[in-house]
Amino acid sequence: MTSKLPVLKGTLDLLVLRALTWSPMHGFEIVSWLERAADGSLDIEDSALYQAVYRLEEKGLLQADWGVTENNRRARYYKLTAAGRAHLRAETKNWVQYADTVTTILTSPTNSPSSAQ
Amino acid sequence: MIRSNIKRWFHLSLRRRDRWEREVEDEIKLHLALRAEQLMAKGASADDAYEEAVRRFGPLDPSRTRLLNAARHREKKMERTEYLADIRADLAFAVRTMLRQKAWTAVTMITLALGIGATTAVFSVVSSLILNPLPYPNSNRVVFVDREPVQGNNTGMSISISTDAPTARAWRENARSFEALEGFKWWSTTMATSGDPSSVDAALVLPSFLTFAAKQPLIGRMFTDADIETGGRVVLLGEEFWRTRFAADPSVLGKAITLKDSMYTIIGVLPASLRYPSFAANVVNVWLPLNIKNDNEGMSFIGRLRPGIARHVAATELDSIFARSSGFAKANQKIPFVARIASPGDTVAFRDSLLMLSVAVGFVLLVACANVAHLLLARSATRQRELAVRAALGAGRGRLFRQLLTESLLLSLAGSALGLMVGWLGLRALIALRPPSLRELASAHLDGTTLVTAIALAILSGITFGVLGALQSARSSTHEELKAGAANASASRMQRRGRALLVVSEMALSAALVVIATMLIRSVVKLQNADLGFDPRGLYSVELRMPENRYATPAARAALVSEVLSRAQRLPGVRALTAANAAPGSRNFAVGRLEIEGEPPPASTATSFIDVNGVLPSYFAATGMHMIEGTTFTDTTSAAGQVVINAAFARKHWPNASALGRRLRILRQKQQPWSTVVGVVSDASTSGAGMESAAPFIYSPLGSGDDGVSVLLRVDGGANHVTPLRDIVKQIDPKLPAPIGSAEETVARAIAGPRFVMLLLAVFTGLALVLAAVGMYGVMTYTVTQKTREIGIRVALGAPSARIARSVLISGASLAVVGSAVGLAFAAWGTKLIENQLYGIERSDVVSFAAAVVVLVGASLIACVIPTRRALSVDPITAIRAD
Repeated sequence: MTSKLPVLKGTLDLLVLRALTWSPMHGFEIVSWLERAADGSLDIEDSALYQAVYRLEEKGLLQADWGVTENNRRARYYKLTAAGRAHLRAETKNWVQYADTVTTILTSPTNSPSSAQ
Repeated sequence: MIRSNIKRWFHLSLRRRDRWEREVEDEIKLHLALRAEQLMAKGASADDAYEEAVRRFGPLDPSRTRLLNAARHREKKMERTEYLADIRADLAFAVRTMLRQKAWTAVTMITLALGIGATTAVFSVVSSLILNPLPYPNSNRVVFVDREPVQGNNTGMSISISTDAPTARAWRENARSFEALEGFKWWSTTMATSGDPSSVDAALVLPSFLTFAAKQPLIGRMFTDADIETGGRVVLLGEEFWRTRFAADPSVLGKAITLKDSMYTIIGVLPASLRYPSFAANVVNVWLPLNIKNDNEGMSFIGRLRPGIARHVAATELDSIFARSSGFAKANQKIPFVARIASPGDTVAFRDSLLMLSVAVGFVLLVACANVAHLLLARSATRQRELAVRAALGAGRGRLFRQLLTESLLLSLAGSALGLMVGWLGLRALIALRPPSLRELASAHLDGTTLVTAIALAILSGITFGVLGALQSARSSTHEELKAGAANASASRMQRRGRALLVVSEMALSAALVVIATMLIRSVVKLQNADLGFDPRGLYSVELRMPENRYATPAARAALVSEVLSRAQRLPGVRALTAANAAPGSRNFAVGRLEIEGEPPPASTATSFIDVNGVLPSYFAATGMHMIEGTTFTDTTSAAGQVVINAAFARKHWPNASALGRRLRILRQKQQPWSTVVGVVSDASTSGAGMESAAPFIYSPLGSGDDGVSVLLRVDGGANHVTPLRDIVKQIDPKLPAPIGSAEETVARAIAGPRFVMLLLAVFTGLALVLAAVGMYGVMTYTVTQKTREIGIRVALGAPSARIARSVLISGASLAVVGSAVGLAFAAWGTKLIENQLYGIERSDVVSFAAAVVVLVGASLIACVIPTRRALSVDPITAIRAD
């Protein structure tokens, strides 16, 4: 197993929003989805995810409703609001751009200042 | 009811907190269970799976706390958002409702605006003039101090004498009742400039006056006691004078100006905001030091009482200080004078009128509030159904309450904003229309307290009648309203009575106003057409103020008068020419004891003020007065001792016989010879502001060489005679101050005050009437709407339309009659307040009372026209089916 990556500040929100793109999920489904998608390479406590969810709900990016799981358990289901969807789109674009830029800089061959002249 | 409500709210919020806390717990439990199941599916034992689930979740207790906090935060935020959304929805709904009923909204808002605006404008005037008339710090403790005669004042006017310097010094040194006592004095003089001498108004004050008024010189410095010691030839310019005459040049300091033959050095400029302590005064051009050490000085006083000292206490102290003093004034005083302390507000012209106007405007505000009340009630009646439906659909009482509250607040605030505008415009208009005697009105500004009070009252009536009234009717009829057509008789009878009561009180207030306004209008008309006893048309006066130093001898003074007379004679259009000590409209009196031959001689202490004017023999003919008996003076020498009296004097002393040949004398210090009555002339309002004409009056021959003489001339046509007259005086003596007056203007000025009050009252009365008529209209419309079915049945049964119209009109008129009856009773009492402002009519003036009834009934009939037409247009079939 590769070493686990700490989650960068703010990116967890983005990941949660991404998880909910296709259908509403309850908390544990979101956690499981993230674990599957990251293939176990993200290092977060489960409780941090709930905190993120509440935060997103407060901002109006998520909306919560009580529903019933396949096994007839009452669970709080979260779904994206229109604002959440827009937020995800914009932030994803920013993130990709940012990551590209950082990657380009980090991976470009190093030039010594004197040879550049 | 309220208790159970509170309990329910409390419960609700408790339950709510339980809910989200439990939800967080449930969510954590579910998560741990699902994780454990997941791990067990992979083969872990139940215990291990649970342990691992908790480990992955994070330390349980801190995590739970964190989540609970996050959830609480979220709930609060969402509640707030929801609340704001509700308010926004309420507002939007309120705006939609208001827009749907445009006419109703407009009438209500205009009513509010007029009520609030008129009240604010007038109370602002009252407060700035009466409550806070002079801009000195702690103005509630600032008082005027002067001295009035204990007895013998029979002039009907307030008389006071200025305080002599020794007394003034004793007061300032010894009076403990005052924080400050400031002497002041007015001096109209002339300033020598390169061209003509120009008249300037000087205020003489003590060096401490600036501290009293809490002001600072703009530039330079105030004079000091040291300046006075060294001769006092220093001057500070008034700001306006400095700007207009010296182009605001800061280098004037140190320069000299010549005031009436003496040079003064300019040492500073005082700001325009520094007010001279008198309402009658013009703008101060220059400020000079008042020399309180000079025993011949006399001055007026303004002071600031110490906190908690009553006026009479202070007055008593001043009197006892005077009694202990031993100045010249005390040794020589003929009439006992006592200190009088008056608040500046008491001395404001039109004080009574202003107070009366405040009452009138208070009435208008009440009428406006009553109107708003039943406009709201009428609307809540039409909304009963809507409210009932909404209640039935599950809108809680709290929700409906908030909705109605939003609506009435929105309405009140919009009305208040409009009212603020009306108030501002109204105040501007009042200032623009002010009579000259209310000069200080120019500085009035909108009074915040009044505005807040008026708006609070408007909002309160909006809430009381708009919200509670609507809820009340909604509750009483939730069932009935839904059962269409049910006669909810008892509730609506109560409401109808309430509404009728509102209309009756509006009518009563309006009737009282109409009575009083009619009385004042009639007074002013009578004043305008009053027989002054002399003819002011084309009558001009030139007041010759002869300086003692240049006109030292009687001969010099007599020469000047005759020179002015002979030159004026040659002006084109002059029909008559004469001279007197006082022009008609200004006042002249003697202080002494009046003795009439044949009557017991007056007691030696019975000194009084006796109206007397020295005039040329031609005075009576020139001013247009009629001789009733006898002739004018035939011999003007003092040896002949001839006098002319007015009819009032003759009536008083010889009611049943001719006054001719009777003898009288005015006793002063030394024995006077008797004078003989040679003529009786008609009463004329020559003793003051053109008002009182029936006071006893004595005319004596104008003494040759008197120093206060006015030349009077009557001219044809409306041409301007002021300039030629000024030129004549200038040719004879360029340095002589000689104000020129026109009797017509004096009379107009005297009437301007009462006219202003009358105009305002007429406006307010009109306002109240319109509002009351709107109220009447509202109630009658409502009544007709309520009775649509009944009217329909009656029409169907063949009632002629005349009878239906009559029944509507009669019910309207009866409200008006009841209202007027109450109003007249009220007015009968209220006229006491305006008694002293009436001229030529009685308090019980029948015309005014009758006018009120006619106007009120007329207005209410007009207000009934539209409701009547609506009643007549009722279609029986629709009406009966409608319900």
